[in-house]
Amino acid sequence: MDNSLFIEVSKEQCQKHGEDCFGDTVYTKKIPEEQRIISVLSDGLGSGVKANILSSMTTRMAMKFVESNMELLRSSEVMMDALPICQVRKISYATFSIVDSELEGKTRIIEMDNPPFIFIRDGKELNIKSRELSSPKWKDRTISVSQITTQPEDRIILMSDGVSQAGLGNPKYPLGWQRQGCVAYALKMIRKNPYISAYDLAHAIVREALDKEVDKQAGDDISCVVLYFRKPRKLLVLTGPPFDEDKDREIAEMVSLYDGKTAICGGTTANIIERELCLKCEIDKTSFDENIPMASTMEGIDLVTEGILTLTEVYRMLKEGIEKNKNNAAVRLANLLLDSDRIDFVVGTKINIAHQDPNLPMELEIRRNIVKKIFRLLQDKYFKEISVRYV
Amino acid sequence: MEKVKIKICSGTSCFVMGAAAIQALEFTPPEDIADKIEIVEVRCMNLCHNVNDKHNHGPFVYVNDELIEEATLEKVINKVRSILNSCNA
Repeated sequence: MDNSLFIEVSKEQCQKHGEDCFGDTVYTKKIPEEQRIISVLSDGLGSGVKANILSSMTTRMAMKFVESNMELLRSSEVMMDALPICQVRKISYATFSIVDSELEGKTRIIEMDNPPFIFIRDGKELNIKSRELSSPKWKDRTISVSQITTQPEDRIILMSDGVSQAGLGNPKYPLGWQRQGCVAYALKMIRKNPYISAYDLAHAIVREALDKEVDKQAGDDISCVVLYFRKPRKLLVLTGPPFDEDKDREIAEMVSLYDGKTAICGGTTANIIERELCLKCEIDKTSFDENIPMASTMEGIDLVTEGILTLTEVYRMLKEGIEKNKNNAAVRLANLLLDSDRIDFVVGTKINIAHQDPNLPMELEIRRNIVKKIFRLLQDKYFKEISVRYV
Repeated sequence: MEKVKIKICSGTSCFVMGAAAIQALEFTPPEDIADKIEIVEVRCMNLCHNVNDKHNHGPFVYVNDELIEEATLEKVINKVRSILNSCNA
């Protein structure tokens, strides 16, 4: 699977001002055994709880149908029949956009009533011809199906109408931002940084849409999903000294031979690599933070940090969001993880006796446990490919 | 006169036991010693592993060649002042 593409999928959402929950729902699933990723965005009729229920039902059903390769028209009929009928508008309604992607490059996009997806290749928007289908039962609904053979550096952007209609009511944008405004903005961001991650692009688009709104308050649910097809970026995270000291040399060689970026998390681990590879390691004072030990620099290594405290903070940030205004070691490590696609963890299992002292003022996690929590989160929430090896 | 060298261990257990507060010396040192000290940040010096009785005596700080156990910002500053005074005497 080494030559296959990696797809970074990321979403960003902002709920309609004054509502308690999202009316749009995004659901992404990776099916490793088929090397396939499916992402669904649905916008429920109205907003708030009712819209949330409609769109949640739609994404779940759509995912099931696509996953099991059911016939499209039949699937959408079942979905429309199953959705409860809105008391106000007397119709059952939720839109959807589905991207069904195989890692060898075949990608299908199925849409109903959302703004059409944006496909970007070589810094330009490409128009993809689509096939239109409609069910005799629901004649006014048209489903469009497009097919693309994706290449590295392609991007697909899905949006709810909260993005294209952002700014309605603002005299500066009488017709809203519109899809074309979003296309121009995405292209500008890509020109500025050709390798911008899906995470950063989705966040930038939603931020920009919100910026168009009157008083920067979302007039509708705003959702954006970005899929970024690329050659996998590899990262090796080495943390903890090996149980058996005879392995010191082996892990040092692993670091020096690795064909990707490398990060070392742990003072003793850094000492081992410094000694075995005769490298010089120096503390980087620009990373000073009261709560997180400083990072260090070592030639040929992308990041060197302390172990447990930094990893614990990284776990918290991966769960709750990265603090953009900080530059401490944990923020750097979290960014490095999110910017990578295939992450190989090598975890030394030697227990640090000094950390087991009950007089230590705070809970110090056991390395294996915190690494396990981090890699599960990276797999489930960020769709990274993870391998873990204990030494 | 040579500056007084201060080595602060920034290993995990020293850090949680208060080394972070001592690192403040780097950024906001007391005026009287500000230009007479040199801070050397080090990663874990493994001193916590070497203690004979079971309990951790961190944070560990070296002021020149003298080891201070259970170091605090105050202890370190006092040690620096006493070294400087003995040099001036």
